[in-house]
Amino acid sequence: MTVSRVAGSTLIVLLYGFLLIPLVAVVAASLTAGDFMRLPPEGLSLRWFARFFQRGDLVEGLLLSLQIALVTTLVTGVVALMAALASQSLSRRLAVWFQIGMTLPLLIPELLTAIGLLFFLYKIGLGKTVLGLQIGHIVMAFPYCYVSIAAALRQIDPALDDASGSLGASGWQTFRRVTLPLAMPGLVMGAVFAFITSFDLYTVSLLLKPIGGNTLPLALFDFLTYEFSPTAAAAATMSVLLAFVGVAVIQKLVGLQRAF
Amino acid sequence: MSSVEISALRKRYGEAVALDEVSLTAQQGELVTLLGPSGCGKTTALRCIAGFIAPDGGDILADGVSILATPSSKRDFGVVFQNYALFPHLSVAENVGYGLLFRKCSKDERERRVAEVLDQVQLGGLEHRLPRELSGGQQQRVALARALVIQPRLLLLDEPLANLDARLRDDVRWLIRDVQQASRTTAFYVTHDQAEAMAISDKIAVMKNGRVAQFASPREIYQRPVERYVASFTGEANFLGVQVERELCPGRFRVRAGSAAFDVKGAGPFTPGTKAVLLARPESLAIAGVVAGQLQGRVTKSVFLGAVQHCEVVLPDGASVRLGVPPDRSLPPDGTVTIKLDVERAWLMPEVAA
Repeated sequence: MTVSRVAGSTLIVLLYGFLLIPLVAVVAASLTAGDFMRLPPEGLSLRWFARFFQRGDLVEGLLLSLQIALVTTLVTGVVALMAALASQSLSRRLAVWFQIGMTLPLLIPELLTAIGLLFFLYKIGLGKTVLGLQIGHIVMAFPYCYVSIAAALRQIDPALDDASGSLGASGWQTFRRVTLPLAMPGLVMGAVFAFITSFDLYTVSLLLKPIGGNTLPLALFDFLTYEFSPTAAAAATMSVLLAFVGVAVIQKLVGLQRAF
Repeated sequence: MSSVEISALRKRYGEAVALDEVSLTAQQGELVTLLGPSGCGKTTALRCIAGFIAPDGGDILADGVSILATPSSKRDFGVVFQNYALFPHLSVAENVGYGLLFRKCSKDERERRVAEVLDQVQLGGLEHRLPRELSGGQQQRVALARALVIQPRLLLLDEPLANLDARLRDDVRWLIRDVQQASRTTAFYVTHDQAEAMAISDKIAVMKNGRVAQFASPREIYQRPVERYVASFTGEANFLGVQVERELCPGRFRVRAGSAAFDVKGAGPFTPGTKAVLLARPESLAIAGVVAGQLQGRVTKSVFLGAVQHCEVVLPDGASVRLGVPPDRSLPPDGTVTIKLDVERAWLMPEVAA
């Protein structure tokens, strides 16, 4: 009993350590006053963060990544919500196939999707453009958003629709006053997932990136090829902070307990 | 507040027939109960009336006008759902006031009407609670208030008491009947519980496999059922196999059960010499001293329940009947008794439904 409890606790500590040590290492390395990424850091300073913002290529990458992630979040949020609503009126068998279709980009290797998109985008004249890259990101982020919203909608008692209708609400009024507020936790979580997925996407960005443009992960990779300075760690630290902001948004808007 | 006429309503789900020529009427202010086991079509009928599903055939008239083409949001019917279907993100007051948002109604008037109806269902003071902070009985009363506040033309209740415990069930049932009568709202009520149906209804439609087996007042259904199914679904019932001898006068027949003969009432017509079923509710039977020409039997079980003692008596032909006897009455040691039948309270039915 106690042995198994101790073993269980140890396992959890190890698991958390395994997950968190890279983060701690990156954050520590970004705060160094020295010239190299090294642990433990040699003194404390924020100068590598300042240096990051002095590098035009990295800042441009950050801005492009933010822009694409924001548009991806908006588009996937709206489209995934509509798709999830539509799936509710399908028969159970059709709904399964619909779900598989909607989550296909998750099931197919990312590289394959990227190559397919590359051919397709060239065919329609959008190869190597920001719009093409944007479409690629939307395709990749969509399944996460869809799964989260569809799960939230499934939790809603179908009788609420009937109740709202019988009380005189039109379809749109029912959506706005009942369905949307109840689906909100799933919608916010789906949006955060979509944003982070897009912000971190590498393979698809590498193949579809516009001429002369780089997203932050690509710019960082290029940067690391030539220079191994703590600027990269500073960029990574900011990505981690962004993820925390995402968690804070979920907590603030819907509460984590309801989202998970 | 209107009269409703349902005529020849039909609905199929694939091969399964959910509604088969269902016809019912509810006069203004009446409460009509659809009674039957699960799968008999009673909820399907209610959902057709509410407009949640479209029937395959037949018609539904409210005040003489067909409402089949009217969407549920325009029918002005209040629906109380079995699982309450309260909006979990809205407070009690917001839930109740929901229907008024879509009607011409100022904010002040909305608040006044919500307070009024909450008072009526004895929920004053709970306006700001969320549904999950309420007990089952309170949730059911919110659901009732929400349906009533729009002053519906028709109130539809789908097994409203099914999720409540026995004691609460009585309270809420009285409440539903009181507010329904006070507001003179016509209502359809779905249940599988015969006692509930008896207590609350002006009329009962006993349903069987998508058909209405009998549509009449509770008294008529209980005392003069058209068939065995109706009799056994509306209370404790004993059935005696009898032979019809002749019709004495319209509505009264002489029947023979073994050596005993009775002159009983029935709807008929019965052809002399045919077999029929005699319904004898437990209260129409009594244990008597030995009298010739009555039923003989042997007590096989008896249970003392305080106010009454329940007995099961097996007749010579193997059929068994249940009846109550006064608690202080002692039964003969060998169990052999004579059963006296109150012919005025027995009822003769055809062997199979007409």
